Amino acid sequence: MQIPGYYEFCNKVKTVSGHNALDKLPEMLASVNSVKPMIITDRGVNGAGLIEPVKKALGAKVKAGGIYDDVPADSDVKTVKDIAAKYRAAKCDSIIAVGGGSVLDTAKGVNILVSENSDNLMNFVGFGALKRRLKPLIAVPTTSGTGSEMTLVAVIADHERDVKMLFPSLFLLPDFAVLDSRMTKTLPAALTAFTAMDAMTHACEAYTCLSKNPLSDSTAVMAIKLISENIMQGVKKPGDMQARLALANASALAGMSFSNSMVGMIHAIGHSIGAICHVPHGVCMSVLLPYGLEYNLHKTGHLTGELLFPLKGAEAYNSAKAEERPLLTIKAIREMNSDLRKATGGKHPTCLKEIVDRDGNMMVPREVLSDIALLSLNDGAMVYNPEDLDYKDALMVLEKAWEGEPLDRKKIKKGKKTSLVKVKD
Amino acid sequence: MNINKYPEIKSGGKLIKKIYVAVMLWIVGRAIQAASRVDREVKEEFGRLSDDFMMHLHVLPSGPGMIVGKDKNGKVKYMGWNPKGKKITLDMKVKNIEGAMLMFTFQESTCVASANNRLAVSGNVPDTMAFIRILNIVETYLLPKIITSFAVKRYPKWSQMSPMRKYAGRVLVYVRTFTF
Repeated sequence: MQIPGYYEFCNKVKTVSGHNALDKLPEMLASVNSVKPMIITDRGVNGAGLIEPVKKALGAKVKAGGIYDDVPADSDVKTVKDIAAKYRAAKCDSIIAVGGGSVLDTAKGVNILVSENSDNLMNFVGFGALKRRLKPLIAVPTTSGTGSEMTLVAVIADHERDVKMLFPSLFLLPDFAVLDSRMTKTLPAALTAFTAMDAMTHACEAYTCLSKNPLSDSTAVMAIKLISENIMQGVKKPGDMQARLALANASALAGMSFSNSMVGMIHAIGHSIGAICHVPHGVCMSVLLPYGLEYNLHKTGHLTGELLFPLKGAEAYNSAKAEERPLLTIKAIREMNSDLRKATGGKHPTCLKEIVDRDGNMMVPREVLSDIALLSLNDGAMVYNPEDLDYKDALMVLEKAWEGEPLDRKKIKKGKKTSLVKVKD
Repeated sequence: MNINKYPEIKSGGKLIKKIYVAVMLWIVGRAIQAASRVDREVKEEFGRLSDDFMMHLHVLPSGPGMIVGKDKNGKVKYMGWNPKGKKITLDMKVKNIEGAMLMFTFQESTCVASANNRLAVSGNVPDTMAFIRILNIVETYLLPKIITSFAVKRYPKWSQMSPMRKYAGRVLVYVRTFTF
């Protein structure tokens, strides 16, 4: 295994995992001297009754400074500003974010504004913009996918400009991550499927992209193993609390991994689909994952091949030749997507044209693929992708992903081949 | 405590490396200005950047560095090394001179340098991405294929950059870099 000449890895999030992990909330708040936390969530989470265990855990000892439950599915700068104003008005001193990726990222955005006493999130875009410690943040994920509870990044949309902005800083790491199986128990099958595939994508890209390192590799491999062993159980038997806890841990592990090794073209293209078509992030990831691995095969085929072990187990790995493993890994992911489509009654898409909204309307019309391709080139994740992509490459990937056909690998413009195993085109 | 008793200590040593990187930054800065007049793709990339675009690429803790930005007329210019009085919109810091040597001896591409945590960037992400693309094109003009292949992820194929564009562009970029 090649060790990078230099790398950095940081994860200082205290993780509390268990079937009743939320009960530790008062202790966590006391340890950061907080007496008036603000709870940020969305209507779906609140409606599902998931704020009740949080309130119950806080008990009479801690009084929340307010509950904001209006975070939209695709949070934006305006929402962040609104919540920051409410936080200041209620004189809160910490944040408990209860929700999926959008809620957690929104809470991170709010934390920037209230800690920096600012009204303009744009001042903090990009690396190195934050210079000091922020207010305490406790992340309680209610999906097992984004891994936002473990990441130093917040992705917040600016709907006026149709872009997703990246806020990367070590100061955005939450103080605590609470992985409580009760919080994902009510997650519908389709959501369980694509959020878990989101975590799978984090782990696969962390393992195969340019900034990989031994520490992020180890968490990525464990995340892939936990997801592949528990995803079908979590989808078919929502009440299986062991599977729920395993998926929550997998998501946190994958988050820890990609937060330290970043992600590549799958995320770059996925962010752009999300920004233009407002498709949930995990859905984009599920569809694009095999395409990203396929595109980079001549660079990182050997690494993709290694993923067959956590995906399919020792027997499948050992019975395949080294040069067969990369394609078997991709095949296994495609099969996983197909199985999830069956298990969710057709709600889990396997290609872009299958993505529909609640009314059954297609969310990614073919005409917008060129806009998506153009926008994806400006996404920071492209830096970490092993192979370069220009507009035509991104469009080719998108067209194949739209149709649900594998890439024609002969058409990929290849830079220097660095894969240690030769994968036939 | 009297802070004046503890003056800032500027890093010394490694003079040869600093001179080498300073010369390379001067050449690359001038070549970016030249390419913005010569190459259609570089022109388009700069066209999409804001009118006040000003990029400072420098080595921590005390240089060398270079500044490239748009002037009042929207023309792309190499603006020397001193950021004083200039409104920098994209600040790209190489964390140390050794990292800069790896980049400017073309052992590491800009992307690999980022992946290896050698760069710290403050500014807009799309601007950073555009600047990396510009840098890749300029390196293709300045250097022979055998060296550029190390500095970029993928050397441009014929379909992306015809030999005519490459060689004519190379001559023009060199002439403009070292003359006016």
